[in-house]
Amino acid sequence: MNRIRIIKDRIAEGLTWLSSGISALMLIAIFVFIFKRGWSTLNWDLLKNNYNSENLMAGYDHIDWDEHGAFTAPGSLPDDAFFSEKYGVAFVDSVSAAKAPQMEVVFLDPESPLQDGKITTAGPRQGEKLGLEEGLYLKKISYVNLEGDKKSAGLTATQGKTSEELVSVLDNDSTEIVDFYAQTEGGGLKGSIITTLLLIGLTLLIALPIGVFAAIYLHELAPKNKVTAWIRSSIELLSGVPSVIFGLMGMTMLFQVTRLFGITGQSTMLGALTLAVILLPVIIRQTEEALINVPDGYRMASLSMGATQFQTIYKIILPNALPGILSATLLSISRIIGESAALIFTMGTAIMDNPAWNTRGTSLAVHIWTVMSGEQPNFELASAISIVILIIVLILNVSVKYITYRMTRDKDEQKKNNKKEKVKATTET
Amino acid sequence: MKNLKKILVLVLALVMMILVVTACGGDDKKDEKEEVKETEKETEKETEKETEKETEKETEKETEKETEKETEKETEAEVEEAPAGEMTGQINIYTRDAASGTREGFESVVGFKDQLTDDANEVSSNGDMATKVGEDVQGIGYVSLTTDFEANNLHPANYEGVEPSVETVIDGSYQLSRPFCYTTRAEGDYASDEKEQLVKAFIAFMTESTEGKEAVLSAGGIVDVDDSTPWDELKADYPIVDQDNSGIEITTGGSTSVEKSLTAALEAFQPLAGNFGFVVNQTGSGDGWKRTLGDDKDGPNASDIGFASRNFKDEEPTEDAISAAKYCDDAIVVVVEKNNPVTDFTQQNLFDIFTGAITNWEDIAK
Repeated sequence: MNRIRIIKDRIAEGLTWLSSGISALMLIAIFVFIFKRGWSTLNWDLLKNNYNSENLMAGYDHIDWDEHGAFTAPGSLPDDAFFSEKYGVAFVDSVSAAKAPQMEVVFLDPESPLQDGKITTAGPRQGEKLGLEEGLYLKKISYVNLEGDKKSAGLTATQGKTSEELVSVLDNDSTEIVDFYAQTEGGGLKGSIITTLLLIGLTLLIALPIGVFAAIYLHELAPKNKVTAWIRSSIELLSGVPSVIFGLMGMTMLFQVTRLFGITGQSTMLGALTLAVILLPVIIRQTEEALINVPDGYRMASLSMGATQFQTIYKIILPNALPGILSATLLSISRIIGESAALIFTMGTAIMDNPAWNTRGTSLAVHIWTVMSGEQPNFELASAISIVILIIVLILNVSVKYITYRMTRDKDEQKKNNKKEKVKATTET
Repeated sequence: MKNLKKILVLVLALVMMILVVTACGGDDKKDEKEEVKETEKETEKETEKETEKETEKETEKETEKETEKETEKETEAEVEEAPAGEMTGQINIYTRDAASGTREGFESVVGFKDQLTDDANEVSSNGDMATKVGEDVQGIGYVSLTTDFEANNLHPANYEGVEPSVETVIDGSYQLSRPFCYTTRAEGDYASDEKEQLVKAFIAFMTESTEGKEAVLSAGGIVDVDDSTPWDELKADYPIVDQDNSGIEITTGGSTSVEKSLTAALEAFQPLAGNFGFVVNQTGSGDGWKRTLGDDKDGPNASDIGFASRNFKDEEPTEDAISAAKYCDDAIVVVVEKNNPVTDFTQQNLFDIFTGAITNWEDIAK
């Protein structure tokens, strides 16, 4: 070996080091970026809460306001709470995960007249008892002022936009409360998480069988001629088409398919069908790769023992190609979770709390799109959702890898045993 | 030899990572200044730890170089700062990202669509814009009227001599604003008669009632609350609101800019109108008309009410709709740093600045 050769080798070796170092550290940088931004926003409530808050309205028409006297604040109130002595209720200002101002009710005296509200909204709950309970977020409260006029205060009114202001308005200016409008806590990810899992399930249910059988046909059954080659290359071409195009196609063509199920608008089913089409090239390619890796000897042995072609495929080739098919599944899951453009067209951008296969919904990626598309993009929430996505991908990947490991372990052990026996046999002779 | 190479590679990669992390930290500036300080401290700590671990001279040199560059920049900026009274030096232009409705509105009112100078700095949000311009005495940008100017060290500039405020927007004298418009579907083109009545009731609530206007105003839309009627009085014309509507779902489509004010109005109306359901399915102004009256009105994206953060165009005729009009305004305010004496811009000034025809403060015609 001469000197130049040694230097060339060293440079080549250095390049591999450099490349792997850069890719690993870029990955770490992305992790740092997301976690730094999103970790503080992420909490258990965010995961389990509904996105849309319940809007509640209750009136106090039936109450005799003269009966009630002054209230005293309990010692357990937080420091930033403001207590209304006239009505025995306390509020705290806060900011929601969506960065909107909120006014939370933190205390309501059991004796307070505000306990006895009745829901005024038409419907089955009309007349039901509803007080301005702790945990509700007050939006607006209507009262009668000293002059006898009906006025309103609160976040959606023109006055009383902070707890301090609201309490002073209530204590100094009001004689009785007419009604209030409050919300339950919202902004959660529950609906989007369920939709994402539902979407993964539905898509795989459609795409996996079609993809695997198509790959079996192409590799095991199809004659090796121009038509097969043409089909194969057009499938590969399909994977280069931008997903927006698939979205448009889903909206116009596949929508007619979901119409047969009686779905009138965008739906998770439509999204799953579209994604299935997007995923087909990935699954077919990966499965074919796995089929190629099954040794030809297996096929020949099976056929020579009298098995038919389909027995060979289902009992010999498919079980041996399973790890490859599972890795195709893995790739598909990542693709489903990351996809947003096609889903905006087929599943909509409205975040739903009780998603089903035949209703609209948003996957977590589209949820991020919705969060970022408004006038005030919310980076913190988007990063928090990214963390959730990372965790879901991690869990799914680990479980698929574990299944693959369990399936291949037995075989590897057999192989090892065989080798040991062979070694023994050769040493003995 | 081998170890040295490994270390060299690691050091290179580390430098890259530090650059990335500091870049991330830089984005945080859009929040409050305190947060920026904190993140700076954090990144400093991180870099310190890493350098400690590796104890490599090269990384230290790199960071030293970076800090040197930064300090150089800072001193340059200080030199450029002119004494109060007369404004000189280069104009630093800030603009919003291409997807922003505020940018679309600003560009269409000033009239420089697609002619924006390449020197403009792009920022990602309204808050980001406010922070960046507030820190740059040479800077000029535009924000929504709801921004807290005082807290961000900003001065809201007059447009054509008119001061931006809710009053001047409502009386029409402040022209740098854009309308938020809605359109319904055609009469009788709703899935059910109940839905049509409910949509009519909601439109009345949003555009006429005190409660609806207050909700829109609280979410940033500019409306004249004094010119409104209490819902209790309007309600009589819409008997639909006194029955259980939980089976009805109103779908909206169109502009994403209207989302906040629209959602506020829908949420406020929900308990007043039998708990109807709503789906706010916003994708962009172009889809507002298309999904209620245009090609997509019977497709999977069909909407009951369409919205646009501009007037409907001539090729979007709304004659068939039950009603189509403006429900609120959104004002855009040109902002400069607080100490900047230039506080009045004409449309021509802004056109020249944002297209790059004027690059220095002293060239602005008074």
